[in-house]
Amino acid sequence: MRKSPFIWLLSVIGFIFPGLNVLAATPLIDVEIKNHLFIPSEIIIPENTKVKLVIHNRDETDEEFESYELNREKVIIGNRKGIIFIGPLPAGEYPFFGEFFPKTAQGKVIVK
Amino acid sequence: MLLNSVIIVLREVLEAALIFSILLALSKQSRIHRTWIIWSLLIGLFGAVIYGINIPLVSEWFDGVGQEVVNALMQYAVYIMLLLYIIILLLYASEPAPETRKLLVIMMVLITSIAMICEGAEILLYFFSVTRSAHHYAAVMMGMIIGASIGISIGFLFYYLLMNICEKWSMIFGLGLLILVSSGMISQATLLMIQADWLPAQMPLWNTSDFLSEKSVLGQLLYALVGYEATPTALQASMYLGGLILPVFIIVLLKLKFKG
Amino acid sequence: MKSIRTFLITVILSTITLVVFLSALNGYKDSMHKAEQLFDMALVDKAYLLSIVFSLFNENGYKPLSESRVINLMQAKHPEIKGNDVFMFQIWQDNILLLRSLQTPKEPISDFKTGFQNKNIIGHRWRIYAFYNDKLYLWILTAERSDIRYVLAENIILETILPVIIMLPLLGILIWILISYGLSPLRKLAQELGNKKADDLSPLPVDQQPVELIQVVNSTNNLFNRLKASFLREKRFASDAAHELRTPISAIKIHLHNLTQVVPEDNHSFQQLNDAVNRMGHLVEQILNLNRTSPEQYISKFTEVDLYTIAQEVIAREYQQFAEKDLQIELEGKHVHINGDPFALDVLLQNLLSNACKYSNNGDSVRVSINTTEQSVELQVQNSGPGVPEDQYGRLFDRFYRLHGDRHDSGVTGCGLGLAIVQQIAELHQARIELGHSSFSTGLSVKVIFNKNNVNTRDEGRNNA
Repeated sequence: MRKSPFIWLLSVIGFIFPGLNVLAATPLIDVEIKNHLFIPSEIIIPENTKVKLVIHNRDETDEEFESYELNREKVIIGNRKGIIFIGPLPAGEYPFFGEFFPKTAQGKVIVK
Repeated sequence: MLLNSVIIVLREVLEAALIFSILLALSKQSRIHRTWIIWSLLIGLFGAVIYGINIPLVSEWFDGVGQEVVNALMQYAVYIMLLLYIIILLLYASEPAPETRKLLVIMMVLITSIAMICEGAEILLYFFSVTRSAHHYAAVMMGMIIGASIGISIGFLFYYLLMNICEKWSMIFGLGLLILVSSGMISQATLLMIQADWLPAQMPLWNTSDFLSEKSVLGQLLYALVGYEATPTALQASMYLGGLILPVFIIVLLKLKFKG
Repeated sequence: MKSIRTFLITVILSTITLVVFLSALNGYKDSMHKAEQLFDMALVDKAYLLSIVFSLFNENGYKPLSESRVINLMQAKHPEIKGNDVFMFQIWQDNILLLRSLQTPKEPISDFKTGFQNKNIIGHRWRIYAFYNDKLYLWILTAERSDIRYVLAENIILETILPVIIMLPLLGILIWILISYGLSPLRKLAQELGNKKADDLSPLPVDQQPVELIQVVNSTNNLFNRLKASFLREKRFASDAAHELRTPISAIKIHLHNLTQVVPEDNHSFQQLNDAVNRMGHLVEQILNLNRTSPEQYISKFTEVDLYTIAQEVIAREYQQFAEKDLQIELEGKHVHINGDPFALDVLLQNLLSNACKYSNNGDSVRVSINTTEQSVELQVQNSGPGVPEDQYGRLFDRFYRLHGDRHDSGVTGCGLGLAIVQQIAELHQARIELGHSSFSTGLSVKVIFNKNNVNTRDEGRNNA
């Protein structure tokens, strides 16, 4: 986890706002993209916690992790990995999909 | 696949088309000839190709969040340039000297071409990824054509709308829209910084996606125009508001100085 | 700067693009949804069918089937459903797998919940339907590859959208043509106005104009009428005034002549009076000339004229003037025919010669030359007088402008209209005037250059009309 002085400063400022949670240790979850599928396609994370998703793209083609519900969008180049921080989130289901191959690359984040 | 490629292309084209049409309408008022478009298109397309080719490298930077950081920095840069553009335009609106006019043209070329670089690179990446499998080719091509046509059409209509309201109002209207668009960019850049964990993450303040989804065409239009966000965080919202208030504050200050 | 046509075409095309594509997208979304439902219904039907067929073949009760029987059964009854990639099924009872298609995993492909589900199985995305036959206590699970059925559905729907995309450029061309056609009355009107000659103030035809332009044409015609009337008034006033002045001046001249019997010739006042009257007579004549040759009202009668002959005539007529000042006058060149108005050319030459004479000192020379080049005929009048400084050339053509102000050394009578008249006549003939130094050591050269082509075409045009 990155902890530059810049971040520390911002997090201090950020404490004015409710629901801020940068200082807790960030859990790490690995996700694979293979044959335009997310494996696993269901990711369960705890409520009100920031999580670091490491997405390994095992396909030749690029993919874009996209979720309107999570408000995230990131291109993951073929045969490489990408890192996305999500949360903290209230409980619920947050579907995501691969924008480049949306019919197969589907999944959801379940916040419990 | 069609709908998806429409949305991907539309999202990117729409933002560029809106900035282009607003700047074009404003430049007509400061009597700047529109040849600058050719420059920004050339630089933008060239830059998009270069950036698109190098995205695999860039995304490795900063522990794998390089693309977010670079995109966010580009958007912050565009915001600052838009701010400068507005100030120069207001200071010298009445009689732009040749040097000021040149400065304005350089600003406009930079703003539009950087916006194009960010957005064009993503379209290129998408196109080359998806068309590798042959059975999506027709759908993706059609989707891209439809998305680009819708975006450009909205840009044209917007331009003529700005051109056909009276001169005094079109200046105010154009500047207001420019401020909204640039604040939207600040909000997007902040979101990218949060995603990269360079800025602290927070719970979303509210969720209006049932009311107006970001997936819909109207949602996309509002996203490009006023930076509509269904689930913003407090930091994002305050950056957006700050981005909105700062230029308005500067404009009011300049007006007061001119009067006083 | 602003073009109505560009505006209309861009705005109309943009609006159509927007509306058509958005509705096409909507249609696409609905059709995809319908297709999805259709595929889902087929999946449900297959599940029902499976349960019925399975129960018919196993009326004696169910037992778990061995692996080999599964395949045999499938191959015997349905050789074509060889557990392919697109479709698969499982039949379960009490957590025991009774029957499955080939390549289907032995584990349940869905949790036993009635309804549809999406899941990743053996490297693909599947749409799975599960239903519980509560009479036979069977779970029937059917599944279809979602990506394949999606591509199938999309390909059908794309066929309906493709024509819309192809149609748009054609529509653009059509709109272009229609708008150009629709705006043609405007273009025609602009052309008609542009082609109008300076002296043509005839009204434009109103009856063929579209409703939108009638007001414009009416207003323009009104303006033309007023302009015509005021031109007519001005012309009449100047020429009537000049004409009316001729008679009293003639009378004064006769009386002056009579007065010579009474008043001694060398009386200073008498001579001044005589000069003044002569000057006034000249002025009136020049005003009449200026009016007669002005392009707004001059109805020229162009014929083939011999410039040389005209020059001879004018020199002969004006010879008295030259003799009085003891000037040498020579005529160079040969007979050359141009198309022109004899009266106007006569006036032109007369003015040039009298200027040359007036602005020469006693004993100077005046040379008239007519040269022919490939494209033009040049009429040149030069004198060896004091000449004109170059910075004054431009002003020489102004009406009532006179060199060195009103007073000049030679005390010449003149009114400053000569060169204005010359220029007007030159314009009538589409000729050019060049001023320069004469080939004598001092003096002015005035060159009138008649363009052969211009005069000819103009002439032909007139003859045809």
